[in-house]
Amino acid sequence: MNPWRVVALARRIVDQFLRDHRSLGLIFVAPLVIMALLGWVLRDSSAPSPRVAIVNLDVASAPSERVRGALTEAIRQAALPLVEVGADEPAADAALRASAVDVVILLPVGFGAGLADGDPPPLVIVTQGVRGTDDNAQVEVVLRQLAGALPLPPGTASILRRSVFGPPFIAGPPDALASFAPALIGYFGFFFVFILTAISFLRERVGGTLERLLATPIRRAEIVAGYSLGFAIFTTIQVVLILAFSLSGWSTPDGWDGPRVAIGLGIPSAGSPLLAFLVVLLFALGSVNLGIFLSTFARTELQILQFIPLVIVPQGLLGGVFWSIESLPAALQPVARVMPLTYAVEGLREVMVRGADLASRTLQLDLAFLAGTAVLFVVLAGATIRREVV
Amino acid sequence: MSRGFAIPEPATGTTPAMEAVGLVKRFGAIHAVDGIDLSLAPGRIYGVLGPNGSGKTTLIRLMTGLARATEGSVRVLGVPMPSRTLLARIGYMTQGDGTYAELSAWENLRFLAALYGVRDAAPLQRVLELVELADRRGTPALELSGGMRRRLSLACALVHDPAVIFLDEPTVGVDPALRVQFWAHFRRLADAGRTLIVSSHVMDEADRCDELVLLRAGRVLGRGTAAELRDRAGTPDLEGAFLRLGEPVP
Ligand SMILES: Nc1ncnc2c1ncn2[C@@H]1O[C@H](COP(=O)(O)OP(=O)(O)O)[C@@H](O)[C@H]1O
Ligand SMILES: [Mg+2]
Repeated sequence: MNPWRVVALARRIVDQFLRDHRSLGLIFVAPLVIMALLGWVLRDSSAPSPRVAIVNLDVASAPSERVRGALTEAIRQAALPLVEVGADEPAADAALRASAVDVVILLPVGFGAGLADGDPPPLVIVTQGVRGTDDNAQVEVVLRQLAGALPLPPGTASILRRSVFGPPFIAGPPDALASFAPALIGYFGFFFVFILTAISFLRERVGGTLERLLATPIRRAEIVAGYSLGFAIFTTIQVVLILAFSLSGWSTPDGWDGPRVAIGLGIPSAGSPLLAFLVVLLFALGSVNLGIFLSTFARTELQILQFIPLVIVPQGLLGGVFWSIESLPAALQPVARVMPLTYAVEGLREVMVRGADLASRTLQLDLAFLAGTAVLFVVLAGATIRREVV
Repeated sequence: MSRGFAIPEPATGTTPAMEAVGLVKRFGAIHAVDGIDLSLAPGRIYGVLGPNGSGKTTLIRLMTGLARATEGSVRVLGVPMPSRTLLARIGYMTQGDGTYAELSAWENLRFLAALYGVRDAAPLQRVLELVELADRRGTPALELSGGMRRRLSLACALVHDPAVIFLDEPTVGVDPALRVQFWAHFRRLADAGRTLIVSSHVMDEADRCDELVLLRAGRVLGRGTAAELRDRAGTPDLEGAFLRLGEPVP
């Protein structure tokens, strides 16, 4: 391995990018804009006050009737509009269909008896089911009120289908961004670098410069190393920018007269930014070489874009960005378990949310998997670069 | 170590600069190179002439080790190809330009020079002046004219002062005055012991070569100086010689 040639190649990639302002914008500015937009949406969107109805199907039970009363009181205290929809399920159903109510809480038959045994069947919460995330937000609003206000006997908190508490690892108020940001950082570390390498290398193959490059004494390993180094430089800057933007926050002081301005998301992070950076860097190294490898299977830049639904979207859906691996259908879990993004997201959450250090078994596994796939993709990328092309 | 043009490599003695034995290259049913035996002595300019599709580029790619021979073998300076280390002593100007559009002329040249181990600026400046691009060194390749990109590509092929130089249609798009200069420089390189193998599909450059190899459908039709070939075919020009030599022997 001749370091001069590796550096020459890395430098060429840097030079090319510095000339290409749009691509620079894509990798440096676009992630920040997306993060900012997401932070804004997640933090400042107010779920409209849902109209709530409470229907007790367990009519004959006095304890159920008491819970119904307590729930009604909690909703009333939260100043949420309370709607009468009738006393049975079909009536509630009709009201939901007619959009006369947003959230219906059903106390199921046998609820009172179960309460006496300390094991009540869960409350059923029904929404209109038209706008998924809005419905979730409304249920969240209702549950938060109930959780704070229920004067129920000890142990009854389990009647709530889900917890509305923030992650216990991070001090301060619950922040949806705190668990989402690590996933996004992992995603960006992959997406842009993959697309840009695949296109650069495709151009190299199709444009005749690879032939010219291979007519010099450069080794295959030097090409792979040079590309990895060149893109690592950009990935490093990108990740540093994203981490700095996500973790630090500054806003105009409270007494300020002018417009309120905030820079940075100020997401609370429990762990070391350096460890987070290590996870992303390993992941990006794999992504660069996956890009080189897959560029072999494309003839045009349009065909590179076809890798987005093939390679990028499935990882985004299954890799734990939105849903945890454990909650996926059983058949999809093994698929998610071989995707690098899964481990990058898990590792970043482990560090940023749980505050893990290198002693964490989970983080060790994540780093080992990312390093292993990086090595695999380096070998695959190297195998596709051959001097005797045809 | 300086790699200026003035310092000739030691003469390679009796070793041919390039030697092909029973060379065949097939792409499926296409016989791009169809049985070529050729031995080229060093220090001369060879013209590989032939119409489009006659196999010139494929032959050069076989000689540089960038294509794998279906049959037969190639040696350059006595070394069997492909050989990665020997590529340091080979210059190759591809038929496409092989330049990076976003990079300036200087950055393109500096990149390839670095891969050949040339880190001084002096040889870069010298080849850039030779191809008359010194005043455009900061211009991105994208903004150079087609002829200028050919010149840049030539500069890249010569920057490390190679012993054997393959030029695939080097003068396409280069204006006549500069062409004359190119050929004068090729002659200086040959006089200094370099071997040049220049492909062309235009016949008017043939007279500037020491020796011609006429190629058609992947086979050598004839070999010799332009005058010899014309005499042998009994025609006043090379186009005629091409037609005559290509005819099946009666
Ligand atoms: N990579 C390739 N795959 C398939 N056929 C090829 C390839 N390269 C060249 N050929 C074919 O080989 C023949 C010779 O091509 P080439 O060497 O480029 O000729 P020339 O350079 O003299 O114009 C042509 O018929 C061409 O189509
Ligand atoms: Mg050709």
